[in-house]
Amino acid sequence: MAQYYPGTTKVAQNRRNFSNPDYELEKLREISDEDVVNILGHRAPGEEYPSVHPPLEEMDEPDDAIREMVAPLDGAKAGDRVRYIQFTDSMYFAPAHPFVRSRSYLCRFRGADAGTLSGRQILETRERDLEKYSKELLETEWFDPGRTGIRGKTVHGHSLRLDEDGMMFDMLRRLVMNKSTGKVEAVKNQIGDELDEPIVMGEPLDEATLKDKTTIYRKDGEAYRDDADAVEVLQRIHVSRSQGGFMPE
Amino acid sequence: MDIEIFPHRLLGADTTEKLLNDLEDLDGVKRMVVHGPRLPPTEQGHSDRRTIMVKGEKVDLQVKTGRVLLEIEEEETIEEVKEICKENLPHGFNVHVGTFIRKQKTVSDGIKYGDELKDIPNEMVGLTDQNAQLSERAKIIKKDK
Repeated sequence: MAQYYPGTTKVAQNRRNFSNPDYELEKLREISDEDVVNILGHRAPGEEYPSVHPPLEEMDEPDDAIREMVAPLDGAKAGDRVRYIQFTDSMYFAPAHPFVRSRSYLCRFRGADAGTLSGRQILETRERDLEKYSKELLETEWFDPGRTGIRGKTVHGHSLRLDEDGMMFDMLRRLVMNKSTGKVEAVKNQIGDELDEPIVMGEPLDEATLKDKTTIYRKDGEAYRDDADAVEVLQRIHVSRSQGGFMPE
Repeated sequence: MDIEIFPHRLLGADTTEKLLNDLEDLDGVKRMVVHGPRLPPTEQGHSDRRTIMVKGEKVDLQVKTGRVLLEIEEEETIEEVKEICKENLPHGFNVHVGTFIRKQKTVSDGIKYGDELKDIPNEMVGLTDQNAQLSERAKIIKKDK
């Protein structure tokens, strides 16, 4: 069995769940295909996928063993553009965080490229595959409307205090809390262009559920130092990495 | 002496309005500064960008309240401030004691106001950014005596 992450705490278990492609993540909300396309903002819903090269079948490719062995993605087969979705995860018990996202994307999403920064995380792949992956990312445990932001640009906010209603700071106010319904609505797409109709993303999870689902070690939640197994593995990696660099006589 | 109220969440206009009104009731509070990230201009329709009423005075709320700085006269006021915060800030807060508001006129003030600096009362010093107009940012609220 693959070993994804050490540790005995709930946080460690959640990290393993995200990384394990055989584990089925809980579906928390329903977002239509059209809404996913609107949130991504790369093309209008119903529009043909723009392409950067002809379909692979029509291309005269050189003979190559690897090309025969590796089946291309649907998007690659059709010649789609490479497009992205980017998330910002609040450090206040967001369900996912950048490094967990990267590890899990590589385990779960074939042909996807992951880029990790301290406060945001980007997923790049061919357009039609991206839409499929994005739907999964938005509908399941990966996403919480309050603590996760879909932010193609102006990502600032992951380490800021939350608003009183539990929403993460967003300078462009893409996701806003509708006070009358108690649900979060996406009023702009990921790069901040206004949407024609707001998209309902559902209610933010409550604090107790978030603490149960989070993959973030925090002193006021589950502290990393209390997870003896995880610390032991980390120290072993640290020591072997340091010693591996030496060449004793 | 100065104290800083540091709420554990950024405050909306309603809570800010209530907090400031309650703080204004305290006799020991001389000056207050509301500090935080700036809100977009009124035309963009941010729900927190509005005029709030503090003791009958209209105050244009330009920031999302992240900290409230207070200049107080006596140490006893700190406990009273904490009581008010407990009522208004259910998500928690810290109160720090220190020096947060500038008390003396500086060379930069001299460059900004020129000869008129001597006419500016000491109470108005240190309330705003150096590049902001005092009239846009500072408000005098008269105490009922």
